[in-house]
Amino acid sequence: MRLERRVVVDADRDAVWKRVSDPACYPEFMANIERWETITDGPVTVGSRFTVHWKVGSVPVGGTVEIVEFDHDRDLAFNGITGVTVRGRFRLRDADDGRTKVVFRLAYEAPGGLLGVVADWVAARQVGRIMETTLTNLRELVES
Amino acid sequence: MAGFDDVLGWVKHQVASRVPKADLDQRDPDYIREQLPGTWLLASLYFRADVRGLDRIPAEGPVLLVGNHSGGNVPPDTFVFTLAFCSYFGVERPFYQLAHNLVVSAPPLGWLRKFGTVAANHENARMALESGAALLVYPGGDYEVFRPSWERHKVDFGGRKGYVRLARDAGVPMVPIASVGGQETALFLDRGQWLAKLLMVDKLLRLKSVPISLALPWGLNIGDLGGHFPLPSKIVVEALDPIDVDGDDDIIHEKVEASLQAGVDALAAERRFPVIG
Repeated sequence: MRLERRVVVDADRDAVWKRVSDPACYPEFMANIERWETITDGPVTVGSRFTVHWKVGSVPVGGTVEIVEFDHDRDLAFNGITGVTVRGRFRLRDADDGRTKVVFRLAYEAPGGLLGVVADWVAARQVGRIMETTLTNLRELVES
Repeated sequence: MAGFDDVLGWVKHQVASRVPKADLDQRDPDYIREQLPGTWLLASLYFRADVRGLDRIPAEGPVLLVGNHSGGNVPPDTFVFTLAFCSYFGVERPFYQLAHNLVVSAPPLGWLRKFGTVAANHENARMALESGAALLVYPGGDYEVFRPSWERHKVDFGGRKGYVRLARDAGVPMVPIASVGGQETALFLDRGQWLAKLLMVDKLLRLKSVPISLALPWGLNIGDLGGHFPLPSKIVVEALDPIDVDGDDDIIHEKVEASLQAGVDALAAERRFPVIG
């Protein structure tokens, strides 16, 4: 399942990147987050790992994720290592009037064959809402 | 009379010999991972489950999880909590559950052993904790799980407190797990302890109860050995604050029951209607 949500933030890319690239900010703007822990020490870069769980349906869903792309002011992508197979990306691009377009993508795939496919479809609606709320929170955080 | 005792002994031996020895290696993380989406669908859509407070469970190392038990022979609280634990801590973290001898020895339920279910006895519990695993126990067992539905929010282990010694001997923390909703999946009328004695299954099968309930699809359901089709009751589970095991067994046992009762009362207060939640 591949989902994508967008928002335009009334701030430059640097200001948005400051929030997106700072793991300490994630509990502030990530919706439905149940658990956020930093596993690796030092500044965030490719290879940094975090434990993240979102409340989806009845239980927290997630696992350990690793940052696989850290392109300053442009892209931050992560892959799931444990738990549900997941790949996520924050993509920052210039919009009109010095604003920034933020694209949040999540691709995930539950195990379990046909039931996994059904679970993906059932979860998609809630995951989509979580992504929308996350971007709204991010916009408010950056613009405040 | 000697002949009758011989028959009784033979039946006991036959049952005991069919209880599989706990082999912790039978737990299969890959199998559990494959089953999680199906259980997530059932928990999220059918039981509208809500699991909270998992951050109160130590993130690693052995821990004894002590729960109140509901739902008869089809206890939704167990599988909802197992799903939540495996989802939150990952299927890689070893996690075992104690179950009645009849559950682990029933051939159609062999798959439960892949989830980490082992026969409920002190030896198996000790082995699981010594291996560094998390262990889920329901001290109330078949006494508590078949309580009448009008006592659905009452925590009662029936005086069983061996779990306290288990935690102390193993030197592990204890976390109470409160749950509500399970006893609304059928209308449980009576534990049927008198029936268990009458049929002598208390001695033969370690069954202290032969419950009487109204349940789908049977209508009047005596024994619940074949299970039942649970009503779609909303299940809410919450992990509570850990409890130290330093001190007298009776005092710690009372502390655990009081903590669970307070947790269950708080969750019950949120319910507006039976089943619907």
